[in-house]
Amino acid sequence: MPTVKLTRVDGQQQDLDVDSTGTLMEAIRDANCDELLALCGGCLSCATCHVHIDPADFERLAPMSDDEDALLDGVENRCPTSRLSCQLWLDDSHEGLKIQLVETG
Amino acid sequence: MNANIEKDYFTDYGVLKDPYEYFESMRDRGGVYRSTVRPDVIIVTGFEESVEVLRNAEDFSSAIAPQGPALPLPFEPKGGDIREQIEAHRNEFVGGDLLVAYDGQQHKFSRSILNRLFTPSRLKANEEFIQAYSEKLVKEMVAKGGCELINEVATPFVTLVIADLLGVPEDDREHFREVIDNAPPPGNLETEGMVMDENSPLVIMGGYFYNYVTERRENPREDILTELATATYPDGSLPDALEIVRLAIFLFGAGQDTSAKLLGNSLRRLGEDHELQAQLRADPSLIPDFIEEVLRIEGSTKMTARIAVRDTKIGEMDIPAGTKVMIAIAAANRDAKRWESPAEFKLDRPKLREHLAFSRGPHVCAGAPLARVEVRIILEHLLENTSLIDIDEEKHGDKANREMDYEASFIIRGLSELHLKLSA
Repeated sequence: MPTVKLTRVDGQQQDLDVDSTGTLMEAIRDANCDELLALCGGCLSCATCHVHIDPADFERLAPMSDDEDALLDGVENRCPTSRLSCQLWLDDSHEGLKIQLVETG
Repeated sequence: MNANIEKDYFTDYGVLKDPYEYFESMRDRGGVYRSTVRPDVIIVTGFEESVEVLRNAEDFSSAIAPQGPALPLPFEPKGGDIREQIEAHRNEFVGGDLLVAYDGQQHKFSRSILNRLFTPSRLKANEEFIQAYSEKLVKEMVAKGGCELINEVATPFVTLVIADLLGVPEDDREHFREVIDNAPPPGNLETEGMVMDENSPLVIMGGYFYNYVTERRENPREDILTELATATYPDGSLPDALEIVRLAIFLFGAGQDTSAKLLGNSLRRLGEDHELQAQLRADPSLIPDFIEEVLRIEGSTKMTARIAVRDTKIGEMDIPAGTKVMIAIAAANRDAKRWESPAEFKLDRPKLREHLAFSRGPHVCAGAPLARVEVRIILEHLLENTSLIDIDEEKHGDKANREMDYEASFIIRGLSELHLKLSA
């Protein structure tokens, strides 16, 4: 179970344990980070679980699908290292990954 | 109405007809209050408090979501943490083996399989069927000048759309529709819960799906049912065949009534408000916002339920383990603290999609994207192929004396019939 470094929208930092059998979105949601709306629950339809990955860590993630890419295109604050956290399954190789929560919705 | 007298939400037919008036009359008791007619039930009407409970799966179990908060628990809660008691009695909750009732890892695992069915590329494939079928249905209805929307159009439409999404062979689809047509909706006021017997549509369709899953596990093909039958959990394990069956039939049960009623609630509004109807006909790009506002102001799910698994709080109220909680979605979606002029229908509300019609948190409706697509498409066809959609006054009375029957359900908000006149 990797531990990632999360920066909240208000700038607060926290360590977050991510269950390898779930997604990053689920871990963030279950840690009561209310700014992550995750309105659709993980079926790639809302983009409200959008996060920015630290540029130094971006390549450590599996590439995104066309569906994810297309959905991120509709997001105002997309950046080169944007991902949808509902599409990220992490394992021990992702220890220490730095993730920034952003305004969604 | 005297705000201090609480009607019984679960049995009162006046509340069934107008749940919104009832919830408004209860709202001054605060966003969270203990029912006086059902002292074992906490009723949450506030938007913020509802989100708080729906997102908090640590302290609240969904075990009572299908049976509702009115039915007694199958055990006597003991102590400040009843998670083990719930698990020990899980099969005794009505509908306790449905996805909406799952908690924790079991829910996460089953949900991960379902989520894959509703991705954009999957829906795109399904959309071809939705387009063709809705066009055919709408043209038939316009040609005969009108229809009874719920049973003639909405129910077969949404049922066959899910059948297409799941890849049910065409020969079997018509049979699915027949068994669903003949069944009552969930949350029936008469039975205070769901009745499952051998004639229940979910049981009948379950038989079909059991065959699909076992047959495709033995002889995989290039089809959706094979993908479903061979999908694995996030830890790589293969689900029990029966679990896949339960998921599949759950989609019919959960998606059929809610989507059909959403279409009914949408068309009732358009039939009553010809100006709004003309606005959407002139600019169909407004239809998605229209659907969201219908979901907020009259979504097809009025409430859901949770049970506190350990001593916790909602807002400032202490909630002991074992407390049954009703989350009044219909009330939260009209909470003036969250929505400006909540009883007004407006297409341009900021952050409108944050309504709770599809719930929130781990149990947020997986089928929401499908509901949005199918209702949008059939509305587009209906508006495009008509010059006017009107309520049939012979069946429902004139505007001053409308008579509408709602399904006798404490969960579902929707018309049992909606007779429309469709002018080409």
